[in-house]
Amino acid sequence: MKITRWISAALAVILLIAGGFYWLSMNHPSPNSAGAPQGGDFTLQSADGPRSLHDFRGKVVLLYFGYTFCPDICPTTLTLIGQALSSLSPAQQAQIQGIFVTVDPARDTAQKMKAYVRYFYPGLIGLTGNPQEIAAVARRYGVVYRKHKEKSGGYLIDHSAFIYLIGRHGKLRRTLPHGAPAAAIAAALRQLLQQP
Amino acid sequence: MLSKFASLACACALFSTAYAPAALASAASSIRISHPYVTAVAPGQTNSAAFLVLKNTSAHDHALVSASSPAAEIVQLHTHLHVNGMMEMRQVKQIPIKAHSKTMLKHGGFHIMLIHLRKPLKPGEQVPLTLTFEDGSHQKISAPVVKLSDTLKSMPMKMDRHH
Ligand SMILES: [Cu+2]
Repeated sequence: MKITRWISAALAVILLIAGGFYWLSMNHPSPNSAGAPQGGDFTLQSADGPRSLHDFRGKVVLLYFGYTFCPDICPTTLTLIGQALSSLSPAQQAQIQGIFVTVDPARDTAQKMKAYVRYFYPGLIGLTGNPQEIAAVARRYGVVYRKHKEKSGGYLIDHSAFIYLIGRHGKLRRTLPHGAPAAAIAAALRQLLQQP
Repeated sequence: MLSKFASLACACALFSTAYAPAALASAASSIRISHPYVTAVAPGQTNSAAFLVLKNTSAHDHALVSASSPAAEIVQLHTHLHVNGMMEMRQVKQIPIKAHSKTMLKHGGFHIMLIHLRKPLKPGEQVPLTLTFEDGSHQKISAPVVKLSDTLKSMPMKMDRHH
């Protein structure tokens, strides 16, 4: 009797620890990078000149990485982001900046990014840069991507598809998984808006 | 006597596996296609994808092995894999449709990839698709072009469970 009790207690502890590790792995964008992504300031190119994260101090920033050649994952996420933003009040919308950064700077020019992102939500900004700049920003946010050559001669880009939410002071606050419904994105944004 | 019987049984089995499928209905006539659509593209987007539901009404496993369309230069069967935190889109040789079951082509999963669209796809247009199954039989369908925001309201999308 005592032994079974002891075993069940030990089991509960093991489960708790395992659960903790599972939770950690769920919230960990890249298994290759050590520690949680730090985020941080960056400057990249928009069609209307350079844009830095610190330009949007005081606003909540939603950051997403992808590429316009992407047929499904990126348009889906951008559509959900657009739906989430549209569901907020105009006052809330004015305090949020959505940014889409390309991981395919070879094909995605600033002009192309601008036309592309506006289709999903008028206020979105599309950013590009040279490959080194993009790689540096991606590393800081724990974004992983790599080129996958196709037999046809073209290439696709495998990429992580997290949404990063940055607080009013420029700090990375939340990471939402791919497939997060529009309502979940909107709820997370609303929550961040409430923080000073 | 026994071995003779066994070899006869063997030959029968061989015969039936080799010839029986030809006598049955073709894959195309056993597969019911529903809810087809192609997503409209954003400015500058040169690729899109077709989604649909394949229902196998027969007692035999079937598979979609290729698709073609005049809307794109290249049409491939694709899936998405979630590997090392990355979404990988990969071409697949076939999309299985098991006996008496449904295979859904949906966002984040199997899809018919339309590469290098000949012209941008606008909502309301129709995209002809020819689907070819494992026995060479095919079905022609027409899929409406739909705005992604409209499809995401009605279609449950594949959620990723991480690791
Ligand atoms: Cu694809």
